[in-house]
Amino acid sequence: MVFARTARAREQFDWPLFLAVVCIAIIGVVNLYSATSPYIDDPRRSGLADMYVQQVYWLVIGGLFGTLAAVIDYRTIERFAYVLYGIGIATLVLVLVLGPDVRGSARWINVGPLAFQPSEFMKLFIVIATARKLADDPRTEPRTLLEMLPAAMLFALPAVLVMAQPDFGTSMIYTSCALSMLALARVRRSSLALGLAGLIPTAWGMWHFGLRDYQKSRILSFLNPEADRTGTGWHALQSRTAIGNGGLWGEGFREGTQNQFGFLPDQFSDFPFSVFAEDWGFVGCIALLALYAFVCAWAINIASLAKDRFGAAVAVGIGATFFWHTVFNVGMTIGVLPVVGITLPLFSYGGSSTLTTLVGFGLLMNVSLRR
Amino acid sequence: MKLFVQRSDVGEFRRRYHLMVLAILVAFAILTARLADLQIVEAPTHRAQARRNIVGRVTLATTRGVIRDTQGRVLAANRPSYDIYVVPDVIDMKETWPRAVQLMGLDAAEAKTYKERILDIRARDGKRKLQQTLLKVDVSRDVVAALETHAAELPGIDVVPTPVRYYPYGQVGAHLLGYMREIDAEGLARYDAENYRAGDRMGAVGVERRWESYLRGQRGWQKVVRGQNRRAQRTGLGEQYLEEPRRLEPIPGRDISLTIDVELEKAILRELRGQLAGAVVVVDVRTGRLLAAVSKPGFDPNVLSGEQGKEAIRDAFRRLSRDPLKPLLDKTTSAVYPPGSTYKPFSALAALADGLIDPGVEIDCRGGYEFGRRFFRCTGVHRKVNLRSAIVQSCNTYFYALGEMIHIDQLAKVGMDFGFGAKTGIGINPEARGRMPTRAWYARRYKGDGFRGGFTLLAAIGQGATTVTVLQLALAYAALANDGTLYQPQVVRSIETSAGTTVQEFPPRVRSIIESDPTQLALLRSALRGVVAEPKGTAYNDSIADVGLAGKTGTAQVSHVTPRGVDPKRVWYFNRDHAWFAGYAPASAPEIAIVVLIEHGGGGGKNAAPVAMKVVDAWQKLSKRRLTARVGEPARGEPARNAGASL
Repeated sequence: MVFARTARAREQFDWPLFLAVVCIAIIGVVNLYSATSPYIDDPRRSGLADMYVQQVYWLVIGGLFGTLAAVIDYRTIERFAYVLYGIGIATLVLVLVLGPDVRGSARWINVGPLAFQPSEFMKLFIVIATARKLADDPRTEPRTLLEMLPAAMLFALPAVLVMAQPDFGTSMIYTSCALSMLALARVRRSSLALGLAGLIPTAWGMWHFGLRDYQKSRILSFLNPEADRTGTGWHALQSRTAIGNGGLWGEGFREGTQNQFGFLPDQFSDFPFSVFAEDWGFVGCIALLALYAFVCAWAINIASLAKDRFGAAVAVGIGATFFWHTVFNVGMTIGVLPVVGITLPLFSYGGSSTLTTLVGFGLLMNVSLRR
Repeated sequence: MKLFVQRSDVGEFRRRYHLMVLAILVAFAILTARLADLQIVEAPTHRAQARRNIVGRVTLATTRGVIRDTQGRVLAANRPSYDIYVVPDVIDMKETWPRAVQLMGLDAAEAKTYKERILDIRARDGKRKLQQTLLKVDVSRDVVAALETHAAELPGIDVVPTPVRYYPYGQVGAHLLGYMREIDAEGLARYDAENYRAGDRMGAVGVERRWESYLRGQRGWQKVVRGQNRRAQRTGLGEQYLEEPRRLEPIPGRDISLTIDVELEKAILRELRGQLAGAVVVVDVRTGRLLAAVSKPGFDPNVLSGEQGKEAIRDAFRRLSRDPLKPLLDKTTSAVYPPGSTYKPFSALAALADGLIDPGVEIDCRGGYEFGRRFFRCTGVHRKVNLRSAIVQSCNTYFYALGEMIHIDQLAKVGMDFGFGAKTGIGINPEARGRMPTRAWYARRYKGDGFRGGFTLLAAIGQGATTVTVLQLALAYAALANDGTLYQPQVVRSIETSAGTTVQEFPPRVRSIIESDPTQLALLRSALRGVVAEPKGTAYNDSIADVGLAGKTGTAQVSHVTPRGVDPKRVWYFNRDHAWFAGYAPASAPEIAIVVLIEHGGGGGKNAAPVAMKVVDAWQKLSKRRLTARVGEPARGEPARNAGASL
């Protein structure tokens, strides 16, 4: 019996997904090495140069958790969906209670020597909970907006909580992912129109009551980057200069001058793509984006092959998380979106983010294995 | 309907998958399009910006030219001053500070002052506590070595070398050499084209200022690759982006050789030891070159140039500008004095040229001269005097009589022929003109008709409105000695590159040839020799036998006014006469002309003449020593490269 199950797993092991993810992860580590290599010769910050090694550790740990997430039958996970969601909300509240850190925002919880970001893991819990809600509520007729409201509340609550940290980027990711999942459900045209119309006052309310000044100035400087070359617009400008400097073929590995000489800010957290683009040029970027696009599309493919509603919704949710992260991050580095602190999955340095991404792919594999 | 729907029914979702894949493709297509825009279309712009980011220029410092005296002794050079800076917020007052105090060798009082200053800055808010604060300037090399060795244990303490101008002879020749000062905003605006920057130093007065453009040199630059923190992090990377030319070598400033002999200057200062204030000028009769120019009291150019820090500069200036003896004033060129009797030879020449007097005719001096309703006093009762004996004994009566005959404009004309009343053209320091009064001048001075005959009488004995500078007088006596050639004074003999090649030499420049009768000049020279050599001469008493000096003493009355800021108990000093001696040596074949002025020194014969005598003596000894030295080895301090040329 056990033998039969493993045989089936091997048969249906999702090699394309696995290989694509491993490829991106390897490129990501190599790129992280390039991004932090300017620190090798800097005696005061040589510790930062070892960041890529730590990233490998996180990938290994993430891989283990991801395997765990792939092996447990996702229907077990479905059963505990709301419990997990509740734990997630509790940690988000805890973060707010613990108060802000030195940089003025409350994002981390310290457990002994480790610090983790509950808002990262919350992404998975939202996907699972929303999938559970969609699975529990099958319809054949288009829904009204009111009928969608309980599902929408599942992402709205954590979105408000991380907004209070304040973390605008993560809040946007929650919203985009959940809306992508809700898009699976059919909604009445009239309701849809009403919903879209409702966006305008919501945006107005957000601008005046929801956003902090620094967030507003980021958006303003995005709309007019030349207005503030040294202040808020500086990051975006430096990033574009580095990417443009890469040209068609790139400056070569560890040869990108803007990164190597320290002109690229946050090059290992928010702007690793700029490092890659400077080193490898347009050709390298096309290849990398193709990999990212493939993973996104493959997630939809897995969803379409899923045997139940929960599996399909989870696959779409994981795919959407990956997709929006990529689009927002790359978009901000090339100047088509404002600078919000959203990481590039498997490229940005970060334990919580890497762990979340790999556990997410574990769930995706889970669905793929059990189609 | 609802009954037929299963939890596992995925039908509702199916219609969305294609749309989602389409959305993914569109999104990535947009990203790719923008990337193509950045990396292909806009690439040249970004690449150019990227290069501008990493390519910078660093300034390559130059060194200021050295100033040497006529024997090649260094009068002004450069040396590093090791200054200690402290970052108040960084230094650990419990651990680091006691160690630093010990290494710097500070005594308890000094350490306490510094500590209080650091704590004071720390207590206040603002950026200053994170910036380097100057603690102590110009520490010794031992301290530098100690601090450098233990640098790792002394966070927050830095030793910074700063180039400072160094004048090895201190006060000697200070007025002539000048000093350095930090360029101010006005100077920055004016000299912008010459590449001055805030914090640069430039010559303030004297040779340092006049020859600034030669001494200064030119900065160079080098293009470098540098990072955001202004340091290149990886050597080799990005160097292909440095465009040619990559480097402009700095040009060191030109060295300047002066005509001054610093040993003679020192000898003069030695002879002036007993005097509060005065000036001495020695010029070469045959070239007009300045051999020495001393103005007393002086100042230490090392302090004014910042050797002991900015506070010391401020303190020094405050003290110097308040001093009633005016140490900052160059009394050889920038100040004017009534010449008194030293002017008599020129009055005599003016009368002789007009044929107004016969040198042989005698006048009876009864202690003064009656003119109009005034009695003009003489220095004594000389009885029968002719021109020669009137000069030897400095008889005023003779010259009053001369003054009654001569037109004041004739006196002024001959005076101007000898260079009085006009700038000599020495070119350093603001030069005073002095004054040769004429009828026109008196008309301007007294608004129309105010001229009286008495003015001419006073002008004939070098009093009244007549004023001269010490340098003018020396050059005029040189002209007397050399048969009437008036030279433009020279301070700079030649300009050399830092490697020693002569760039420019300055031959003597004749200002004018004075039309005069050689026999008249010979008569005057004989009289001037008599002043020193004959028992009746006013300078006879202190004459030194071997010194073949000739010249004229002078005792110039000063107007009785109290200078401002002078202690009333000291007013008597400022009302005393100026003591003069002007002459040349050796009398038989003149080589140097010398003028000694002792401000408020009293009688010229008693006070100024002995100084002149000893200075000439010193000069002769120096010349003799030099002659023997040249036969043997190069003189001390003289660079070897000049030795061959001087043989």
